[in-house]
Amino acid sequence: MDIEDKLKELERRNLEAELGGGQKRIDQQHAKGKMTARERIGYLFDKDSFQEIDKFVIHRCNDFGMEKNTIPGDGVVTGYGTVNGRNVFVFSQDFTVFGGSLSGPFGEKVCKIMDLAIRNGAPIIGLNDSGGARIQEGVVSLGSYGEIFKRNVWSSGVIPQISVIMGPCAGGAVYSPALTDFTIMVKKTSNMFITGPQVIKAVTHEEVTPEELGGAMTHNTKSGVAHFAEDSDKAALDRVKELLEYLPQNYRENPPVVECTDDPERTDKSLNKVVPTNPRIPYDIREIILSVLDNNRFLEVQEHYATNMVVGFGRLDGLVVGIIANQPKFLAGCLDINASMKCARFVRMCDCFNIPLITFVDVPGFLPGVNQEHGGIIKHGAKIIYAYCEATVPKITVVTRKAYGGAYDVMSSKHHGGDINYAYPTAEIAVMGPEGAVNIVFKKEIANSDDADATRERLVQEYRNNFASPFKAAELGYIDQIIFPENTRSKLIKALMILQNKKTSIPERRHGNIPL
Amino acid sequence: MSEITAPMGGKVIDVKVNPGDTVNEGDEVVIIEAMKMELPIVANGSGTVKEVKCKKGDTVEAEAVIVVLE
Repeated sequence: MDIEDKLKELERRNLEAELGGGQKRIDQQHAKGKMTARERIGYLFDKDSFQEIDKFVIHRCNDFGMEKNTIPGDGVVTGYGTVNGRNVFVFSQDFTVFGGSLSGPFGEKVCKIMDLAIRNGAPIIGLNDSGGARIQEGVVSLGSYGEIFKRNVWSSGVIPQISVIMGPCAGGAVYSPALTDFTIMVKKTSNMFITGPQVIKAVTHEEVTPEELGGAMTHNTKSGVAHFAEDSDKAALDRVKELLEYLPQNYRENPPVVECTDDPERTDKSLNKVVPTNPRIPYDIREIILSVLDNNRFLEVQEHYATNMVVGFGRLDGLVVGIIANQPKFLAGCLDINASMKCARFVRMCDCFNIPLITFVDVPGFLPGVNQEHGGIIKHGAKIIYAYCEATVPKITVVTRKAYGGAYDVMSSKHHGGDINYAYPTAEIAVMGPEGAVNIVFKKEIANSDDADATRERLVQEYRNNFASPFKAAELGYIDQIIFPENTRSKLIKALMILQNKKTSIPERRHGNIPL
Repeated sequence: MSEITAPMGGKVIDVKVNPGDTVNEGDEVVIIEAMKMELPIVANGSGTVKEVKCKKGDTVEAEAVIVVLE
């Protein structure tokens, strides 16, 4: 073979590998409205930046006649490149090759790219489209899953990990995405479950479709397993790019700063009237969030799950912040099990990646109910406390209206390490709401009065005037400043700037024991 | 046909529709008081009200069907 032939041989082998499972299977993939593993990578990465590794890896299975059937790459495309100019590692499962099923060498490829990502401090993106374990490989396949999970855990809090579900993801395969920071699902074409509809029917006789059981909206509304639901492969990959704009390369770095084109001193008179004076009337907390952020841009995370809690990313004067807010519009903004888990996980993710926390508080309390108590609201609510107390990033709080009882404490209060705590003049910070407090404190007085209702009404009004305000808390220094709502943006930015060099630490230990 | 359910338990303080009324998605159909807040329950689709399963003063449980549309 002369050199020309060797070059030609490389070209032939490259083309063969790039065809994956062949044109017929590529056509089938397209017919389902899905892109191929390589098309997805091409769309995600900057033009010509992607470098594929392990392109010629093949499986080593000699059982069930598999030795006659090898395809270079073995069902997963791995490599690195840049997304908007920043280094990113990726593995993209190729459904056209053995249904994207996971073999030993497939797992070794994924682990190799994950190891590179951890060592070099850059995000890893997993594009999932796989039928699961490759049955012919037997227990080797299980070993590979285990090696991947271990690396997911080791990467956690070191580099951002984003999973995109773009096809089936069933059985053990679901635990890799579950361990990552964000899971994005494509509507209609993706699903995730531990056991599928057929097994469920055989074991429990329940009948359910794959979409109902583990489709994108199921996991975005009911289970809270996923964080985003997108209409197409392209929309999901666009979401990855958007998310990366808010995340640092690794825990040692800060998130990317952009030049701010929005006036840091911008005021918004309409904010003075967003919070209704009648405490019984709900409003949309997102109006305040959108108003204060740079260019009114807010990337909401888990928009469809536990909607009584709003979390997401934005920027203030070009710096990334994580927003956490009670949402009075849904369930009165109360804290329940799902909202607690949503909040705590987001707070911890921000703390992992040096993202300051901005918390808007309007919370009437924890949701009463037998289901909540028996479901463990005590341990789940404790997660919020744990997450905020443990977080060492800058913490800025704005109480817009209600901050009652234990719920006051947990929402980034002074006592849990809030660095700067603001309140609107509409804030009501008290041990409990006026009605409840009056019934306890003045029980005898009300019972002994001639007109119990009138007495109660008078006492409630007195309590409201004296205690349901931000001033008692401000007298004690629990609130640093009572601000005019129209100045919220400027106040947040000033606090954020003064906290840029915040240094604090928590007692030395192996690791804490968060109530799970 | 679609069912509108209560998102949380509470007391019905206003019913804004009657059987036969036409409603559009997003219209308020019932106001429930819970956690000392008035929560408007809105239609999850457009249609005609077939049945109203609660009245002012009722206590409803979470997930209870309160209005049926067709």
